[in-house]
Amino acid sequence: MRDGGNKVYRNVCPRNCYDTCSMLSYVQNGKLEKVEGDPLQGYTQGRLCTKGYAYPEYVYSPDRLRYPLYQYPRGSGHWERISWDQALEKIAGKMIELNRRYGSNLSLAYNKYSGNIGLLHYAIEGMFNSLGAHTKPFGDACLAAGKDALHYDLGKALSPDPESMAQAGLIMIWGANPAWTAVHQLDFIKQARDSGAKLVVIDPLFTPIAAKADLFIQIRPGTDGLLALTLARMMIERKQYDRKFAENHLFGWEPFLSYLQDKISINETSEVTGVSLQAMEKLASLYASHRPCAHWAGFGIQRSSNGGQNVRSISALAAITGNLGQKGGGMFYLHPSEDLFPRNLLKYARPLADGKKDREADINNFAERLLFFDKPPVRFLWIASRNPLSQDQDLNKWQELLRTLELVVTVDLFMTKTAQMSDLVLPAASHFEEVDLNISYWHHWLALNEKAIPSYYEAKSDLEIARMLTRRLKEISPGFSNFPDELTAEDWLAKEFTSQVYTAYGLTSWQELKDGPHKLRAKTPWLDRKFRTCGGKFELYSNEAKKDNLPALPRFSWPQTKGDYPLRLITPQNPYRIHSQYNALTWLSGEYDNVLQINPKDAAQRELAEGDWVRVYNAEGEIIKKVQLSNSVPPGVVVAFQGGDNPVNILIARTAADMGMKMSGSRNAAFYDTYVDCVQGRR
Amino acid sequence: MLKQMGFIFDADCCVGCKTCETACKNENKTQPGISWRRVTQVADHKYLSVSCNHCDSPECFRVCPERAYTKRRDGIVLIDPNLCNGCMDCVGACPYTAPKFDIISHKASKCTFCLPRQQMGLEAACVSACPTGALQMYNFKQAYPKGTVAKIEGFPDIRLTRPSIRFFPSKTRERYFLEER
Repeated sequence: MRDGGNKVYRNVCPRNCYDTCSMLSYVQNGKLEKVEGDPLQGYTQGRLCTKGYAYPEYVYSPDRLRYPLYQYPRGSGHWERISWDQALEKIAGKMIELNRRYGSNLSLAYNKYSGNIGLLHYAIEGMFNSLGAHTKPFGDACLAAGKDALHYDLGKALSPDPESMAQAGLIMIWGANPAWTAVHQLDFIKQARDSGAKLVVIDPLFTPIAAKADLFIQIRPGTDGLLALTLARMMIERKQYDRKFAENHLFGWEPFLSYLQDKISINETSEVTGVSLQAMEKLASLYASHRPCAHWAGFGIQRSSNGGQNVRSISALAAITGNLGQKGGGMFYLHPSEDLFPRNLLKYARPLADGKKDREADINNFAERLLFFDKPPVRFLWIASRNPLSQDQDLNKWQELLRTLELVVTVDLFMTKTAQMSDLVLPAASHFEEVDLNISYWHHWLALNEKAIPSYYEAKSDLEIARMLTRRLKEISPGFSNFPDELTAEDWLAKEFTSQVYTAYGLTSWQELKDGPHKLRAKTPWLDRKFRTCGGKFELYSNEAKKDNLPALPRFSWPQTKGDYPLRLITPQNPYRIHSQYNALTWLSGEYDNVLQINPKDAAQRELAEGDWVRVYNAEGEIIKKVQLSNSVPPGVVVAFQGGDNPVNILIARTAADMGMKMSGSRNAAFYDTYVDCVQGRR
Repeated sequence: MLKQMGFIFDADCCVGCKTCETACKNENKTQPGISWRRVTQVADHKYLSVSCNHCDSPECFRVCPERAYTKRRDGIVLIDPNLCNGCMDCVGACPYTAPKFDIISHKASKCTFCLPRQQMGLEAACVSACPTGALQMYNFKQAYPKGTVAKIEGFPDIRLTRPSIRFFPSKTRERYFLEER
């Protein structure tokens, strides 16, 4: 497309975010001049978020990495610019040497996650798979518990189109703050409210979305499930549940009923959750009078050792009240549209010789697992789309792991905490500099990401790097890899479009995406009330869960760990960052980077005043933050935001949610089960 | 004047996300540190998004010794950077701190109401980017929109310059906080 002197390209923001915004890039003489939202994408409707509009600064940030860099000794800060040829030589040389030393590639490992969730970034998985048996991560660090919870209930975690929330009568948000993390959802919420819908927010924190709610209920962290079960009990007692749905489509109604009758009491719930009887009454009356209800289970409620149960409890409430399969209502968590795609790069594999197997390390316990591996030990680590030294749990183990590694390679756009501790850093392309395909896990749009500008200095995409390194490996040692390095990004892209994909998105050729994003043709899930469980019913009582050594019914139990520290630490997103990304930009505010938000009562007990330096500590370690007194944070809770120079994750021990094994093979981190204390500190 | 263009700010919708601020930088390429539009938190999750208010009686226009400011027939107030001598009088005079001083170019600059965009039939960048519809453009030669007020918490005195901005105030909402530990 053209617009005056600009060429206009279609791009997609590839961040790990609900909104996956389609954008238009205005390019003049090969330079990205500005970005706009793509009006043809119906969820983001021509708008970006504050981070999205900052891309012109992001792309040309003076802090962006330009060339491959080599650091010796590691961590010293003595960086030397080297050429791609030298970098590839060092990497390929080490890989082959380790292969010869140990007789296999098992000492080679990678860690890659969600820094860029474009489909072609699976090139890293493909590149390693092509080496034969190696050491790889598995599991889901974010959403595994909630996904399993919905799998037990529904047979598959499917969410309705979030645009349908505009038809809701009640929107009930548990532990999500779309005002900061999914701004485009706000328009659909507004549409619903303009036609009379009410918004309820239940959260331990008084968030910006909570401030807009018709009813905000502050709740003790990790007790959401109990409130949901209590609300279910209230609905049943008041005959405000869906009797027909219960008779025909629920499995386990009787045991669920007796569980509620025996174990759930309103008074006790009030004690545990901290929610007053009056607030519960108000909630129950709104819930009964406004239908259909869109229940949005945020990712926050499942970051605890009873997280899966929290999600199952909310979904049980949605089910017994007949809200599932109602347009505008239902249970919103995530929608796995990516499952429709073959993901050829992810699944690309070299047939393994007899008896040879990959070694898999749980991504939620990665450093410890890698240290545990022996015969051969892991000696080489490739890190891409990830900043574990800022974002992982159990960072002390990472330090230990680094000491055992002979070569650490990090691919990134910026000198992250992880890059700083690598031997080699390779400059990564921004999404404006590569071709890709982007599929949201929330909304239902599919969009093509075009190459809009030339590479920034010597930056390269993960796929280009995989191709180059493979070529070098094959030159030195023919047959070392079977990665088809001759295939271009467009070749891999074309392979993703199976006839199933074409039908699902109403496409006849993938090139049509150059004219605009396409939407999945999906019916509201569960419209036909045919659930994907064994018996075809919604399972209040899940035999599958029982088989997996979990309670068959959604049950409330206290988070397991309490620890020796009095303050529960919550580490949400802030509006100007995604995890540790974006922190190099002047266009985006850094106001949340180094603060500890604390209730004035807790601060007074510790003689802390606004702006004081504070030492936040637990058995894992300590960090220095600046006190921000906040009435948005309840007593007994403190908030520190992710990323920054002094990452809060140093305080996060190895913890796990209750679920995740079923669909992801591993339980996600229970980040919010962290307890700390704090005292006056000095910088 | 034919028109008096300005803004309507809906405090009840604004979530403080600063998308308007960044969209302005993306559109107008202001130098690092220069924000023609600023979002501030005036109380717990109560926000204000303010740029130049294209005042009816602009103080910047009055104090500028170089007559660098003009007030157009559509009400928009502009500064001509070629005439600006960098004295900063306007920066100090504006109650809304709309003119920003750029230490590199040694000149003041401010919101242009995205005139080039308007000439293409587009809304100002901040307005078109706002995810909640909290910002609107409005011609104040028309009757004030129903429900708007002249001033809200945190906004400076309007008597001096008569800014072209009106507000939908925040509504009171039902909230249940945790009280004890």
